[in-house]
Amino acid sequence: MSELLGYLVAGAALGCTIALLASGFVVVHRVTGVVNFAQGMFPVVAGLAAGSLLSAHWPHGIAELGGIALAGAVGLVVGVVAIGKPGTPPLASLVITFGLGFLGYAIEIIVWGDQPRGFDGLSGVVTLGDVRIQHQWLLVMVVTAGTFAALGAFFGRTYLGKGLTACAANPYAARLAGIDVRRMGLYAFALAGVLGGIAGVLLTPLQSIAFDRDVALAVNGFAAAVLGGLDRPGTALAGGLLLGIGQTLFAGYVDGSFQTEVALGFMVLVMVVRAVRQPQAVAV
Amino acid sequence: MNRLVGVGFLVVTMSLPLVLDDTRLSIYVLMGLAVLVVTGISLLMGYAGQVSLGQAAFYGIGAYTAAVPAVHGWPPVVGLLAAPLVAAAAAALLGALLLRLRGHYLAFATLALQLIILSVAAEIEFFGGAIGLQGIPQFGIGSVTLDEPREYAWLTWAAVALVLLLTANIVASRPGRALRALAGSEQAAAASGVPVIRYKVTVFALSAAFAGLAGGIYAFFLGYIAPGSFTIAMSVEWVVMAVFGGLGTRWGPVVGTVAVTLVVQVLNDLSTRPGAPSYAPTVLGYAAYAVLLIGVLLFMPAGVVPWLRNRVRRRRKTPDEPIRMIPEWPPRREQTSRATTPP
Repeated sequence: MSELLGYLVAGAALGCTIALLASGFVVVHRVTGVVNFAQGMFPVVAGLAAGSLLSAHWPHGIAELGGIALAGAVGLVVGVVAIGKPGTPPLASLVITFGLGFLGYAIEIIVWGDQPRGFDGLSGVVTLGDVRIQHQWLLVMVVTAGTFAALGAFFGRTYLGKGLTACAANPYAARLAGIDVRRMGLYAFALAGVLGGIAGVLLTPLQSIAFDRDVALAVNGFAAAVLGGLDRPGTALAGGLLLGIGQTLFAGYVDGSFQTEVALGFMVLVMVVRAVRQPQAVAV
Repeated sequence: MNRLVGVGFLVVTMSLPLVLDDTRLSIYVLMGLAVLVVTGISLLMGYAGQVSLGQAAFYGIGAYTAAVPAVHGWPPVVGLLAAPLVAAAAAALLGALLLRLRGHYLAFATLALQLIILSVAAEIEFFGGAIGLQGIPQFGIGSVTLDEPREYAWLTWAAVALVLLLTANIVASRPGRALRALAGSEQAAAASGVPVIRYKVTVFALSAAFAGLAGGIYAFFLGYIAPGSFTIAMSVEWVVMAVFGGLGTRWGPVVGTVAVTLVVQVLNDLSTRPGAPSYAPTVLGYAAYAVLLIGVLLFMPAGVVPWLRNRVRRRRKTPDEPIRMIPEWPPRREQTSRATTPP
């Protein structure tokens, strides 16, 4: 029983990081219609940068924030290249973000080398009954909950957030109302960078990170985002938790080497079922 | 004119193996194999309007299909003939399911598919597991065996010529016309009686068959394959080559593949000179793919071949021919309904 609870908690923590990545996909896709394959690059950049800052004796907290800020800046750059030129069709933007992922590889190898790196997060363990819970897991869950709450408040209550939502709902009407749709798209990319960065600095202490982790991270995030049709952050959170817990349970009880494949199979299944049931929804 | 270009192409590609040394020949063979795959991708992206980021999976399926019987003592020719057929069959089965998806959903699904197929292959003992298959015999028919890179170069580029001829004829045929209609507008094609899904699955299977054939030759040429030989990076590189050359054009795959391979090769030569840091080849390789891909998509969205052709036409004051690029997004259809119903 305690084993199961342990898996559930670890899975929920993993799921939270996946959900953060997924929300990055959702934010960009809602506003611009582009699927940002470079999403996996943001956590890698943030994790590696935070590690470097920590080893330069920056205090915890500040170093992580530095990593997140860098990821946000990278997000903005990705946005400028991917949607900055007017008239770039979204599928071309998608392939461009893939190219940017390659460019990211080149830069990451120059700066950080090609070996995995990590840094220490919160140490210590809480014991609840028989279940041992790492402090870092709790931190992941608390930060994720806070981030999603802030995201909800941002979209629902701030002027900028409402502008982003307006672009998502109807770009044409948003333009008529005087909203600069392209600028909103760039904000969305930067926000996706920040969200990916948060996931990265939370994840790096749990599993060390290397430049080529981005595909696995992006695939997991996309799988969670697909559950909500790539348009709803709340469903992305649910999808992330489902995937994280599912993967951890699968790894614990069946086979540890097939986690990612299970996530992938699940994702393809969800997409195909949606496409067959409502051809219009996935038809774009 | 076309016939002349074709004959010239054949003469050049067939005589090149006579002058190249062994290292260059090996690059030349791999380049020919890439042309085979890229021709398929160009057909798929240009005519069916679909992006496949998992083409290396079919390359891998072809390689294993060719290698497994050969390792067990069957004549190699059986394996090589089976390679495109098995790859096409796999694509037809998967495509019937996956091609209901479109755009980025399909791109992600094909990527996922490749990851799944490769890690499953790594677990199956019969395929040599993660270590792969070693000691694949040389290719041969009857008593003739190919044991020199030069002979593989001829085999590869003969296959390229065959595939290019086949593709040109398919595009010019009645089904090819249907395909072009499909690329223009799926709804209009469907309204004119084109079975959309079936045609898409056929093109998908055809592109997989080309990849499978290339994979089969690859297995015999290297004599060793493993799941790790077929990476996501390869799939993406092929897409780069297809986009660079020009989607759905006859010579785009050749031009794109040759140009990209040469650029990467030159950078590789530069970066392995003494004094360059050890990471230089990898870094320059990634950077080259990134810059080529992004530059072409932003500034020559139709690819190099149509861009050049239109420049010539402009000089002769004939109007531009229509270009075929990564398809324009259909307007998001949910939008109208979402705008009218408040959340």
